[in-house]
Amino acid sequence: MLKKLSLLAAVLLCPGINHAQDLLPPETSIQDAVDHYIKSEQATGNIQPAAQVDDYVLMRRTMLDLAGRIPTIAEVEAYVADEDPQKRVKLVDRLMAQPEFTEQLAYDLNNILAPAGKTDLELYLVDALTAQKGWDTMFADMIYGNYEEEMPKQAMQFVNLRISDIDNLTNATSALFFGVNISCAKCHDHPLVSEWTQAHFYGMKSFFNRSFSNGDFVAERAYGEIKYATTSGEQLDAQLMFLTGSVIEEPEPVVLDDEGKKKEKADFEQLKKDKKPAPAPAFSRRAQLIEIALRENDREYFSKNIANRMWHRIYGYGLVMPLDQMHPENPPSHPDLLDWLARDTYANGYNLPRLIRGLVLSQTYSQSSRYDGEKRPAEFWFAAANVKPLSPRQYAAALAIAARNPAHWEDASEAESRIANEVKAQRGWANKFAVPNDEFQVSVDEALLFSNDTAFEDKIKVSNDRLGGELAKLETTEAMVQRAIKAVYSRPATPEEVQAISAYLDARNDRREDAISQIVWALMTSSELRFNH
Amino acid sequence: MSVNPSRRRFLGGAAAAGIAASSMNMDVLKAEALSNELKKNGKRVLLLWLAGGASQLETWDPKPGRLTGGPYQAIQTSLPGVQISELMPKMATRLHNTAIIRSLNTQIGDHGGGARLMHLGRRDEPNLKYPDMGSVLARELGRPDLQVPDYVSFYTATEGRGNAVGQPGFLGARYAPMFLTTDNKPAHLSRLEDITDLDHKERADLRALLSNRFAKGRVSESLGSHNVAYGRVRGLMSSEKLFDLSDEPQKIKDRYGNSLFAQQAMVARRLVEAGTPFVKVARAWWDSHGQNFETHLELVTELDHVMSTLLEDLEERGLLEDTLVVTLAEFGRTPTINASLGRDHFARAWSASLTGCGIQGGTVFGATDEDGQHVKDNEIGAAELFATIYKAVGIDPHHEYFVGSRPIPLVDPGTHAVDEVLA
Amino acid sequence: MFQADPQNFRELKTTTRPDIMLRMIRNEDSGEIYVGSSDAKVYKVNPMAEEPEFLPFEGHTSYVMGLVDTGKYLVSGSYDKSLIWWNKETQQQVRRIELAHDRWIRNLAITPDKKHVLSVADDMICKIWDAESGELVRELVSHIKISEEGFPNMLYAVTVSPDGKLVATVDRIAKIKIWDFETGEELKELEAPKCYTWDAKARIHAIGGIRSVSFSPDGTQLAVGGIGQIGNVDHLGAAGRVELFDVASGEKLHMFEGDDKHKGLVEQIIFHPSGKWIMAVGGDHNGWIQFMDLEKKEVLKQVKAPMHVHQMVVTSDFSTAYGAGHNRLAVWSFEPKPEPEPEPQDN
Repeated sequence: MLKKLSLLAAVLLCPGINHAQDLLPPETSIQDAVDHYIKSEQATGNIQPAAQVDDYVLMRRTMLDLAGRIPTIAEVEAYVADEDPQKRVKLVDRLMAQPEFTEQLAYDLNNILAPAGKTDLELYLVDALTAQKGWDTMFADMIYGNYEEEMPKQAMQFVNLRISDIDNLTNATSALFFGVNISCAKCHDHPLVSEWTQAHFYGMKSFFNRSFSNGDFVAERAYGEIKYATTSGEQLDAQLMFLTGSVIEEPEPVVLDDEGKKKEKADFEQLKKDKKPAPAPAFSRRAQLIEIALRENDREYFSKNIANRMWHRIYGYGLVMPLDQMHPENPPSHPDLLDWLARDTYANGYNLPRLIRGLVLSQTYSQSSRYDGEKRPAEFWFAAANVKPLSPRQYAAALAIAARNPAHWEDASEAESRIANEVKAQRGWANKFAVPNDEFQVSVDEALLFSNDTAFEDKIKVSNDRLGGELAKLETTEAMVQRAIKAVYSRPATPEEVQAISAYLDARNDRREDAISQIVWALMTSSELRFNH
Repeated sequence: MSVNPSRRRFLGGAAAAGIAASSMNMDVLKAEALSNELKKNGKRVLLLWLAGGASQLETWDPKPGRLTGGPYQAIQTSLPGVQISELMPKMATRLHNTAIIRSLNTQIGDHGGGARLMHLGRRDEPNLKYPDMGSVLARELGRPDLQVPDYVSFYTATEGRGNAVGQPGFLGARYAPMFLTTDNKPAHLSRLEDITDLDHKERADLRALLSNRFAKGRVSESLGSHNVAYGRVRGLMSSEKLFDLSDEPQKIKDRYGNSLFAQQAMVARRLVEAGTPFVKVARAWWDSHGQNFETHLELVTELDHVMSTLLEDLEERGLLEDTLVVTLAEFGRTPTINASLGRDHFARAWSASLTGCGIQGGTVFGATDEDGQHVKDNEIGAAELFATIYKAVGIDPHHEYFVGSRPIPLVDPGTHAVDEVLA
Repeated sequence: MFQADPQNFRELKTTTRPDIMLRMIRNEDSGEIYVGSSDAKVYKVNPMAEEPEFLPFEGHTSYVMGLVDTGKYLVSGSYDKSLIWWNKETQQQVRRIELAHDRWIRNLAITPDKKHVLSVADDMICKIWDAESGELVRELVSHIKISEEGFPNMLYAVTVSPDGKLVATVDRIAKIKIWDFETGEELKELEAPKCYTWDAKARIHAIGGIRSVSFSPDGTQLAVGGIGQIGNVDHLGAAGRVELFDVASGEKLHMFEGDDKHKGLVEQIIFHPSGKWIMAVGGDHNGWIQFMDLEKKEVLKQVKAPMHVHQMVVTSDFSTAYGAGHNRLAVWSFEPKPEPEPEPQDN
């Protein structure tokens, strides 16, 4: 009976129970809603937010988040010079209209969704985002699949890559789509979260237990149940139960006699040989998961998870942390904001670009990452921007753009395609870096690579197509430092930087080219390029 | 002053669930008693990782005369009443610094899971990435002023390399291993020819100046680690010669021999001699499902030679009393011999050895039954073994790290070091 | 009597044992069968008995890896490095050479005239002993002791030609040496390199080796057996393999490369007295007997054995075969089945 009570509690306590009446109206813009909730919370806590950033930093930050690269000198100067009061919105809309926006979002989503090191979902995600699919449709493609169409077939790699280990598939689905890591509940009721019991784990597992890999395809049988033993040794049958405790009534499983099983096996074998997908059973448990996860009274896990993950991607820290611990005993820092965002996301067809656009247009987004006040408020106040380590691809792109002679990007008619080509050509560098997670630390291997690698030495050398080549031709040291800082950091140099770099150069009058190359090295390896700030 | 409600909620949640690592909170250990600091000062650990699972029956726990014992005889060692496999004649003469543990029951019998357990000393937890033994020891035994890497890991064979977990986990990448696979020398450790040493150093100084200016007013674990990583480059480069055996005297090289394992053991000795607190040399791959006795004739013969030479070398240099040499694998092998004359995975009753620093030499701890099927006396698991290793080098196994506000003891609560094998 | 047809080959009986039966010989005159076991004992046994009794010969301390019958004595060799001459009636030791070799004794052979016993061991020496006096007559030394890769070599098997003039020895690194029995001179070195797998990259150890060697009844051909190249050296994961050589020229006549349904080591090769076909026995986790036609160079028949077979003996009339192996003894017949029931086919 206790268990039943706790199930009831789960429904009641499930994150963000509707209190729509208290939320800002739905027609509020995302950016206004963000700023409203963040600022009012700061006010309650007497927290002083950081200053707003200048155009240089905002341009760089926005560019990295939306286009996956740093701006060229020409781009940043044009943005700063632009007097249009709407220039920020225009920049955002321009960047989001370019294929790089979709490519980067797909890359990041793949890094979240695919098993570590796998890129199998990326092409699908590009395709789905280009086709303006909502997150709910993508979820359905990835869990239930659709072998009629080329791209949703790719989407099934989410399941297919994990199908050999159903526990892992269950847990990945719960953690990545619902923000709930229930793996602890496999062997015993969750030690920290009383609402998560073994029944939940095996309930979620039941959505997948009939699925298996048949050749290149995921297939599903019309029968197969899960039994599990409780810690007290009791044998229980798992129900088809979602995280909310909702149970799906299902038809009696199909019963096959030996002959039937034999035939079924032969049919699957034949399909495998023919490289064809097996038709789904009339009652597909995986399809039921889509159904229940998206329906009105059960969809909060789904909608909040994606809102929280997109928030985390833009702001570098989630409204719920860790991202897979979205449960009643770990409430969000801003529950109303998460409720509002989840509702807004749902109401607008789970349109991820729309959500991202709102997030990057907020004043919260344009706060400085530098906090000069006495004590920097903790991250969950969102009172200053978090510095975010660049993704491997962003870093490769940043290095690619900073390393070229800036003259290469100056011709406005050519710039766009040249940038795109260079970024793609240098993408191999991404393989040298780790995909950052929340505990990301830069390894000494990376520092050694930049310190003693011939390929990187080539990027910093003084030659016509490199930044160093242009710097060597500039007349004054001051001009040189200004140009170098703007090319690498997308901003003007400070007097202290001019002084320090000039001194370095003056001490090497006998080997000016070497000195320039070393200065480029120091700029490019510094944290200011390595991070999005 | 009012308490912010969301902050209160947040902290409640964090305490319950554990939040992302913050090393600012991990400095509790710094406040340890000075005596303890001094005690572990200069201690090192050298792990010989017998990847794939070496057989206890053909090494430390022979069962002569039993069908499960296989064809090898047991030989008398320098310790009265203690026999080991005849494949280890050299080790048999020098067990005076060694403790043999014959009573490991670690339960996990697959390579991936077993290797994780025997690297982390505990089972994985989904929301917390634990550091492996090497990262813990690098952190606990490493000194900031040391100009050598503090965690070096060799694994040249390709099989099972992914299982040989070198993960700093919540300790952060600062304590990640320098992982050597294809070459016995780390990549990018030597300065390129076209830059002078002085310029190499001074451009790093210029970088530090620029980077530190940027870091001012910004707080982030990742950001901090970036500058820390660059700060270690010059020191690590100065340790390059440690990986180069060309200046090792010929008579020492002759003693070790030419095998890859021997060469790596020699580099490991050079590293611990220079102060590297943790070196792992993996010898793969012992997974003898077929032809166990042939495989062990090859591999135990090599192990016996390399291990005894290494111990002798360390002892002659006066390093053994500060260096703990461990032999360990993900599990042992089945007493039952299969029809391919192989032995399969077996985590229920197997052996490890501890030699040198902090160890009561000449001891045997625990026992298996006459066929080696079960532990008969003094059963221990991974946690007890890890506690013993930590304690042997002067680290209190019950000390706690803090991840957020959650205390994480070095080994699982309720486990204790095996004092019987400690000096 | 030599009309035995492999197509009739069928299992008659098996006996289950806790130990591994590694060697087996049969005295053609008395019909007595002796087996060498992993429990360090030699047993006299009648595998056809309803409940076979195992009469022990106790004295070795490790696996019994070689057994020959000199007529007067039984001689056994073991991984314990010793050779023992036994009184067959009393099961008592007549002579024991404690350190006959410095390392494991892998196998024994006897000359056709039964005057000499040959032993091979991991000291990589083939020793020829006087079967009566136990005197060491000669040593055949030239197999290398350490492989190129730095690991111990192993000398697995030895045989003597039907005319008693030649000795052949085979090792782990797949070298075959042919010696002059009288002078001890090494006449020829052949090789079957596919039988030895050295994995330099993934696992850094070796597996395989030539495990069996037999001369043809006319002495002109030599067959060696082992296992093919293995991808994963953790397992006996390749097909059992037989290579056939012309003794005079050293030319390789044929390679029976086997198939994936018959993985493992060829532990023994038995020539049919006609010289037209051979039996290759062995296995991995499972066992098998394969019949190969030497003229047509094709596999005649493959039979699943109830265990990995370590050694087999066939009666001189080729009517019955006895096998020793993993936890089992087995008996097979070459006689056609008396009743016209459908036969269990294995291939």
